[in-house]
Amino acid sequence: MIVFVTLLPIGFLVFTSFTNYNQRTLFTGAFDVVGFDQYAAVLADEDFWLSLIRTILFTAALVVGSVAIGAGMSHLMTRLPSSLRHVTTVVLILAWAMPNVASSIVWSWLFQPQYGVINWMLTQLHVFGDMTSRDWASDPVLAWVCIWLLVVWGAVPFIALTLYAAETQVAVELKEAARLDGASEWNVYRVVVLPSIAPTILLVTMLSIIWDFNVFNQIWLISEGGPDGATSTLGVFTYTTAFSGNLQIGAGSAIAVASTIILAALSAVYIRHLVRSGEDL
Amino acid sequence: MTTRTRRLRRRPWISSTIAVVFCIVWAFPVYWMVNTAFKPRAEMLSTTPHFFPEAPTLENFFTAIGRGQFLVYLQNSVIVVAGAVVFAIVLGIFAAAALSRFRFRGRRPILVLILIVQMLPGTALLIPQFLIFNSMGLLGTYWGLIFAYVASVLPFSIWVMRGFFLAIPIEIDEAARIDGASTWQVLTRVLFPLVMPGIVSSSVFAFIAAWNDYIVAFTFMKDQASYTLPVWLNSFTVSVGGDMGTDYGGQMAAATLFSLPVVVFFMIIQRNLVTGMSAGAVKG
Repeated sequence: MIVFVTLLPIGFLVFTSFTNYNQRTLFTGAFDVVGFDQYAAVLADEDFWLSLIRTILFTAALVVGSVAIGAGMSHLMTRLPSSLRHVTTVVLILAWAMPNVASSIVWSWLFQPQYGVINWMLTQLHVFGDMTSRDWASDPVLAWVCIWLLVVWGAVPFIALTLYAAETQVAVELKEAARLDGASEWNVYRVVVLPSIAPTILLVTMLSIIWDFNVFNQIWLISEGGPDGATSTLGVFTYTTAFSGNLQIGAGSAIAVASTIILAALSAVYIRHLVRSGEDL
Repeated sequence: MTTRTRRLRRRPWISSTIAVVFCIVWAFPVYWMVNTAFKPRAEMLSTTPHFFPEAPTLENFFTAIGRGQFLVYLQNSVIVVAGAVVFAIVLGIFAAAALSRFRFRGRRPILVLILIVQMLPGTALLIPQFLIFNSMGLLGTYWGLIFAYVASVLPFSIWVMRGFFLAIPIEIDEAARIDGASTWQVLTRVLFPLVMPGIVSSSVFAFIAAWNDYIVAFTFMKDQASYTLPVWLNSFTVSVGGDMGTDYGGQMAAATLFSLPVVVFFMIIQRNLVTGMSAGAVKG
């Protein structure tokens, strides 16, 4: 069944990436095997490289942002009175539970140019001047900021709760001993806590790379990759190539295969770890 | 003085303040969604935001439900999600039992494969599924969506349930066998009841994944009558000619209704959340 639902489609994807499958084919069933032509075309396409660069930069910004905030929050949670810690946990789960389709449209409303509450708040700050009619989604940089906030907002809860679970496993005696030796709080964190939770940090970082590389809904629902392709990542580029305009499915497949390979290369550490742990499964 | 109180005595208000600010920022979008959902139109479209609805109303919920064919979309979502969950769990539990209880050739590659499949970009599976279902005439049908969702949640379900099987000592199987149980009986009478918590967790995960999907439904279901709820939710957004045509009040009410079951389920399984997620390396 696994073979049927996943391997077969993957095989089919690789196959279509070697064909000129397009809109016409959907009606007539006719297509030609064109070998590596689609790949040559994709690699020669400036949009592909721009999407790739955008995807990598965006993934890096998201991973750094969400892991840093998540780690900070998890450490903070260990130092909170328990009532406040429970409140924080509930808030985290609430944010985590929000379906990203719903949070994306909530974001559009928060950042709505005229009546959005974010523009109002920024105007009240009197730092950025009058923001009341700023349209975030149609400015290339602001659209990124908006999507970044959305994805990080949704990603932090999992990271914070996972790291918090790991941090509670660190022996209190170790921290106490370090404190008695006169270590500052920062040094206790850096020397005692960080090494103990390093494997978990590595895990959430790898998972974040994989998830953030594949972020699609949030981008699609906020900006559809616009304005003018400025927020188009590989996922969005694959989708628009294969499913809009004249449905260049062959080309879309080639992009999808290429992005999968790139992602696999980026997460090689994780894959190697999986394969190795597979030895004692 | 205990360690705990001493730790708290160190500038506790700084940590607490940061935590409070964090909670406000993180809860704000959800609060704003619910707040907007209960506001009458005049309060919503005001240049000075109202932080609480002054004249709370259910009007937005009625317009939301009245938009399109809410009941039809709800029915579509329920059928497709239920189908996906049932298939994923039934297939998943047998696969998980096999992968944890029997040793066979190719077991290890399958396990590694299950983990790696989780990494595939969603759009990469979408293309071949679109073509295969197109040629089988499954596009726009419940079956097409159900298969697509099973494909995306099955690996994770297998992984989670396998973890629960592994936690059951093999002696239990042996004891049942000595009492004369067949393999089938060992599975259905002894093991399945014991992995019930695993079945519950993976059902909830499968439910959430299928319930939340937008892009597969958006791509496969072109006919308005076959929309699922996420597609309906986004149909409030009018992007042509600015977004002034968008009924944000109705949309926020719809988003609240749509998110509610997921939030409830998250609260139910919250204890298993972290372990389940990190053990299975699930899709986001």
